[in-house]
Amino acid sequence: MAAPTATELVRRFSPAERSLHWLLAGTFLTMLATGLILTLPSLAELAANRQLWKNIHLGAALAFWVGLLALMSSAGPELRATARELDRFDDDDRRWLRWSVHRQGEEPRQARFNAGQKLNAAIVAGLMVVFTASGVLIYLQETSAAFRGRTSAILVHDVATWVSIPLILGHLYLATVNRSTRHSLRGMILGTVRRDWARRHHPKWEETL
Amino acid sequence: MSDIRLGRRTFLSVVGLGAVGLLAGGRLSGAAAPLGRLVPDGVGNLVSAGGWRIYAISPPWPSFDPASWRLEVTGEVEQPVKLTYDELLALPTQRQTSDFHCVTGWTVGDVRWEGVRLAELWDRVQPKPTARYANFVSMEHPYVDTLTMEQTTLGGVMLGHRMDGKPLSRAHGAPVRLVIPEMYGYKNVKWLTRIELTRELRPGYWELNGYDVDAWVGRSNGY
Repeated sequence: MAAPTATELVRRFSPAERSLHWLLAGTFLTMLATGLILTLPSLAELAANRQLWKNIHLGAALAFWVGLLALMSSAGPELRATARELDRFDDDDRRWLRWSVHRQGEEPRQARFNAGQKLNAAIVAGLMVVFTASGVLIYLQETSAAFRGRTSAILVHDVATWVSIPLILGHLYLATVNRSTRHSLRGMILGTVRRDWARRHHPKWEETL
Repeated sequence: MSDIRLGRRTFLSVVGLGAVGLLAGGRLSGAAAPLGRLVPDGVGNLVSAGGWRIYAISPPWPSFDPASWRLEVTGEVEQPVKLTYDELLALPTQRQTSDFHCVTGWTVGDVRWEGVRLAELWDRVQPKPTARYANFVSMEHPYVDTLTMEQTTLGGVMLGHRMDGKPLSRAHGAPVRLVIPEMYGYKNVKWLTRIELTRELRPGYWELNGYDVDAWVGRSNGY
């Protein structure tokens, strides 16, 4: 095997991982846009056709879960392995979280996902469950009196939205604007990243390739 | 080196917080309502905190044309009338500050209304003794809702044509809507164009979709 060169491309994300990412990105942005149209008074005129936006909103939610099921049934073991990778934080990950706050000294060496990405994935996964549970309750409240006045489903759905927006804005900034990290977008679109970039940002993973 | 499952812990914490929020129920919404009032109006209009959600049933929203719009009062009355916008504004105007409650769970506090008490209108049209119900018909077809004649003169009931110091906006039912803070929003018919007094009860739009006829805030629709 030839010696690795700095500019050669190495595979970071598998097709199943990329599919899951873009499934979530597409359905989440659709739900965010239609949700804001349905809820912001300043966009209320646009929302005059409430039923249409509602159908798109609920359709996107359904598409996400159906798509997730389809991906889990076709690439379940692989995606579960990715989930385990995201779940476990080693000593370097914990040091990285502290380092990310004070930014002093050397960046603790990270594997394929850095600790911030792991944390983001866990929060987003939790939010998906919270959004779905509160969303189903809102739907039931609107269709049946038996569910009304029992829960603060709208409040929970709103709070989850206001937590999601800074998360997604930060994510978009790092993926498209911030010079040192935006190369990772290539990995999420095409699957591959440059080896020298991988060595700088994810050395513990790059060594294993 | 020891791995910890911080991902799972974070995931479960987010789900747990959401579950606590859902189970804490109306109490939590009640506690959050004053927070909404702290948000300045401009921001409040941009974000939903403490703000309105605009519901309509058949888009697009009706447009109000002062030249052609009329408020018609018909049915079981001695003197049917057709008021122009200027004639409506010329009727004695009352002010009130009241809370607006939606049956879906949100509330807007301290809405400042200006409008005409229905007693004022009844003086002009002279309801017949046979008149038992008032049907409020919206320009938004087929939206309609009903009150008993007794309910039309409850303390907070008015035909609101100004809200928070400005003429009623299109979103809120321009030029005039029914205001009845004692009942949920769906009784507060927007874009009014006709009031018909009848002998018999005619269920309103949402009543035909399973909501209570008497929509008392806190005492109906499962609350």
